[in-house]
Amino acid sequence: MESRITELKEEAISAIEVASAVSTPKAAQEALKETRIRFLGKTGSISLLSEGMRSLTKEERPRIGQLLNELRNIVTAALDEKEAALTALADAAAFASIDTSLPGTASLSGSLHPLTLLVDRAVQIFRRLGFAIADGPDIETEWHCFDALNTPADHPARNEQDTFYLPDGRLLRTHTSSIQIRTMVANPPPIRIIAPGAAYRRDEVDATHLAQFTQMEGLTVAPGVNLGDLKGTIEFFFHELFGPGTEIRFRPHFFPFTEPSYEIDIRTESLGGKWMELAGCGMVDPAVFAEVNKARGDDAYDPERISGFAFGFGLDRLAMNLTGISDIRMLTENDLRFLSRFPA
Amino acid sequence: MKISLSWLREHLRTDQSAAEIARILTDAGLEVGTIESVGVAIPKVVAAQILESVQHPNADRLSVCKVDDGSGSPRQIVCGAKNYKVGDKVPLAQPGAVMPGDFKIKVGKLRGVESEGMMCSSKELGLGEGEDGLLILPQETVTGTPLSELFPAEEVFEIEITPNRPDWLGHRGVACEAAAFGAGELIEQSIPLPVPKLDPSVARISAPEAASFYSIRKITGVKVGPSPEWLRKRLESVGLRSINNVVDVTNFVMFETAQPLHAFDAAKITGNLAVEFAAEGEEFTALDGTTHTLSTHDAVISDARGVQALAGIMGGMTSGVSETTTTVLIESAVFDPSAIRRSSRAHGISSDSSYRFERGTDAETAILASTRAASLIVEVAGGEAESEQVVAGVVPTPVIIPLRGERVRSLLGIDLDDGTIAMLLAKLGLKKQEAGFEIPGFRAADLRREVDLIEEVARLHGIGNIVSRLTCIPSHSSDADRAFDFARGLRRRLSGMGFHEARNGTLTSNRDQDIYSMGGVAVINPMGEEHSTLRGSLIPGLLDSCSRNLRLGAETVSLFEIGDVYQLEQPEEQTRLGLILTGYAAPESWKNGERRTLDLFDLKGMISRLGTCTDKIEFRTTAHAHLVLYLDILIGGETSGILGVLSPAAAREITIGGHQGQILVAEIAISSLQKISGGGFSKHPKILGELPKFPAVRRDLALLLDEVTPYSAVEAAALATNEELLTGITPFDIFSDPSGIKIPLGKKSLAIALTFQHNDRTLTTEEVNLALGRIMTQLREKAGAEIRS
Repeated sequence: MESRITELKEEAISAIEVASAVSTPKAAQEALKETRIRFLGKTGSISLLSEGMRSLTKEERPRIGQLLNELRNIVTAALDEKEAALTALADAAAFASIDTSLPGTASLSGSLHPLTLLVDRAVQIFRRLGFAIADGPDIETEWHCFDALNTPADHPARNEQDTFYLPDGRLLRTHTSSIQIRTMVANPPPIRIIAPGAAYRRDEVDATHLAQFTQMEGLTVAPGVNLGDLKGTIEFFFHELFGPGTEIRFRPHFFPFTEPSYEIDIRTESLGGKWMELAGCGMVDPAVFAEVNKARGDDAYDPERISGFAFGFGLDRLAMNLTGISDIRMLTENDLRFLSRFPA
Repeated sequence: MKISLSWLREHLRTDQSAAEIARILTDAGLEVGTIESVGVAIPKVVAAQILESVQHPNADRLSVCKVDDGSGSPRQIVCGAKNYKVGDKVPLAQPGAVMPGDFKIKVGKLRGVESEGMMCSSKELGLGEGEDGLLILPQETVTGTPLSELFPAEEVFEIEITPNRPDWLGHRGVACEAAAFGAGELIEQSIPLPVPKLDPSVARISAPEAASFYSIRKITGVKVGPSPEWLRKRLESVGLRSINNVVDVTNFVMFETAQPLHAFDAAKITGNLAVEFAAEGEEFTALDGTTHTLSTHDAVISDARGVQALAGIMGGMTSGVSETTTTVLIESAVFDPSAIRRSSRAHGISSDSSYRFERGTDAETAILASTRAASLIVEVAGGEAESEQVVAGVVPTPVIIPLRGERVRSLLGIDLDDGTIAMLLAKLGLKKQEAGFEIPGFRAADLRREVDLIEEVARLHGIGNIVSRLTCIPSHSSDADRAFDFARGLRRRLSGMGFHEARNGTLTSNRDQDIYSMGGVAVINPMGEEHSTLRGSLIPGLLDSCSRNLRLGAETVSLFEIGDVYQLEQPEEQTRLGLILTGYAAPESWKNGERRTLDLFDLKGMISRLGTCTDKIEFRTTAHAHLVLYLDILIGGETSGILGVLSPAAAREITIGGHQGQILVAEIAISSLQKISGGGFSKHPKILGELPKFPAVRRDLALLLDEVTPYSAVEAAALATNEELLTGITPFDIFSDPSGIKIPLGKKSLAIALTFQHNDRTLTTEEVNLALGRIMTQLREKAGAEIRS
């Protein structure tokens, strides 16, 4: 029995050597599997030898048993070691041939329009200050667009040279300020709204003009609102949008629906370091409140009790500057090479 | 509006620089766009006389001149110009002069002949285009005079004037404002006013709607001729051309006072001048030679023979001042802004005069301007002004506007006391009275209410002195907030699916609008057919964008647009999502072999993903003229959009040769999508319930079906028994064989996976088999399916 154990040990070790040296790693793994069965399987040589334990004397059993165990352990360990080495080899081989310098592949990915990105930014900033969004129709009445905004019937903007009209006398709003009127007519103060939207002017389309443009309107009406609130709000917005180093200049101006009125110029490195006229603003003219009261049939907007400020700015020229394009028509041509620059 | 700095200095005593004055004006609300320099500011350019000119020995086109530049010894100059004669005086750039464009003049040889300088054209001196050749100076010019004395450098502001401030349309008004804002001191003018006289036989207002004030001043014995140098230069500095001394004075006074004037030749006027409305169809020839047919809306100045001027806009051909004029009638009036605007627009004439009348003028200034013009005409054209001024209409009495200091302080957020406020307003000529502030005539149109005065205080106090304040008033989300946020999320989801966001103009061609919608809304005054109609659908615009991109070489186009569409019925304006998709399913790469092109099911799948677990998007096949495969999109059971494949004919129109794959389009009403959205959360959490704890069982079936049997019939049959355990049906293979070998012709094979699951227990094979059996029966009976496995 003892000699058989020694014999079997040598036999198994050499069989393992032979199996693991078979030509390919895959075949070697197969051969090792067979070798394991041949020696350790249910009917394998070592298992069969163990059967012989029964014929041994009580005294012999522990010693022989121990030797058999050792045999089993040695063979198992040898098999495991070779198998592990082969697996490591195969694992390494599986990745060895991959050329990692090939470019990555990606699924199609989309983008958001730069005007959308800009509107989103602006909305988020104003929301920090408690503004809600308001909207109104592009097809507007003359009253909402002009009369209620203190713009007299013979105002230069009110003609077919400058404004698009519909057969029924309505028009395409020339500014988003009409939304101020709609909001106040529908709601009592306090009002704190912004309104992004389209506006239209009968301009010849060229590199710097579109007949339809994107504006952002703002309005706050409450008791005690003063010019300082307007100034603080505008400064907050542009400092958030372009950074705290942004210079802001208010230039007295004239709009029929605000008094006093200002134009706002911005100077910042990200807009080329030159003064850029970006917005108009002012304190709501009492004549506007008077028209709103008339339409409401009450005096919720009594200028002796409430006051307000309004502002509006164009987003297209801003988007041009932020995207580095010199032709405003790029914003409506939907050239994928341009749009792809703004991954969402 | 051009404002000449030297002209301004006639009214403003100041030692401030042009840049500083420009800053002060801008802060006051007169936005100075540019500061332009005119004239010659180049040293070493002098007037020189040509003494001799001979042919250049080596160049046919050059001549060699001897010129006297006042230095005592004549210089030799080689010259290429031909427009001079010996004895002419011309500008000479001496060696050392630096011409515009950093061109230095040196002594040098031209074709072997020495030249000690350059004789100059007006263009070379930066004096404008001028005529070709040398600038020939007047004979009386003293040789050696620096050109900078003959053409003094002058700075001109280009100022944007807001419509509420007609007084800024003259140098005097700008000077007043500059002085009020600390740019200097206003130089007082004292103009002795003439005696007003009512004389309807000379001038009258027959149409009080058209003019509130009208005046005529007669000047006899004038000699019409060229204007003196100073007058010509003043007009040229603001971009006007000199005509003759009398007309030049009226223009000069207009640019000084902002009050337009007109000069009639008295000899050509018969009877009295009257402001009236024209007769319908009356003809009028303006002094620029154009003829206009007038209507009863046109205010005119008529005499006994007919229309002599289109009031406030342009004088007539026949009664204008000419070389032969000896007696002049100076008209100075206040015309109604609306009347002037109406006529100006109706006849397409816009003049410096109409521009000012449209913005408003006042009688006080009209009298002053007339008086100023009379004295200047006498100065430059001789003659004598009548001591009386014939007037019609009224000079309004000054208005007094009350102002509450408290109101100023609360609206502006400042704490100026009443005295300081009055002091500020006094700078603008507003006098404090018992009842408020007295408004000077030239500001009467703009300063009518308390708030108008508050604005003036704000301007004078300066926005820089207003303390910024930030107050936060919370507001609840509005419907518009919710719509905005939904659209924002939708945009991000779509871009995540690979779509690029497009924005097309809403004004578009009316072509194609009726294909995808009921047609848009037309405007009556479009800028061309291409922008004549508010779009009824997003699809035509997206097709244009798609076409443009394909032409630019894109092989895959995937665009979405969220925008408004318009229709004649309600809702008039609706926000929609438009989608267009064509090209390949994946970008080209070294990895994929054969590339798959996108088809209807790609877009259908993407749209399905916009549904939710509990509110699925459904589709219903229907028919459409321009879409070969066409589906209605149903959301919450309502038709909310369309999806389809462009017909091959329509696709050929927008693609270029070699484009691969179908063109897929869809359009969906955003509100329908928003209705089923829970902002990421389910709107029906109870229906969704707990996650299943027990495993699902999948059973596959291979069905043999008639080729024409739609998948929807199979699905309907499978669902017919309302199996409680059935949680999903997925088709995973579809196959037909045109050779008829593997499966018979006219048949197709469809493989479906059925998923069974129970929330509370593991399913037994038996109960799954029973359910499957019932489903198979339905498939056989309702869908005509033969079960192959």
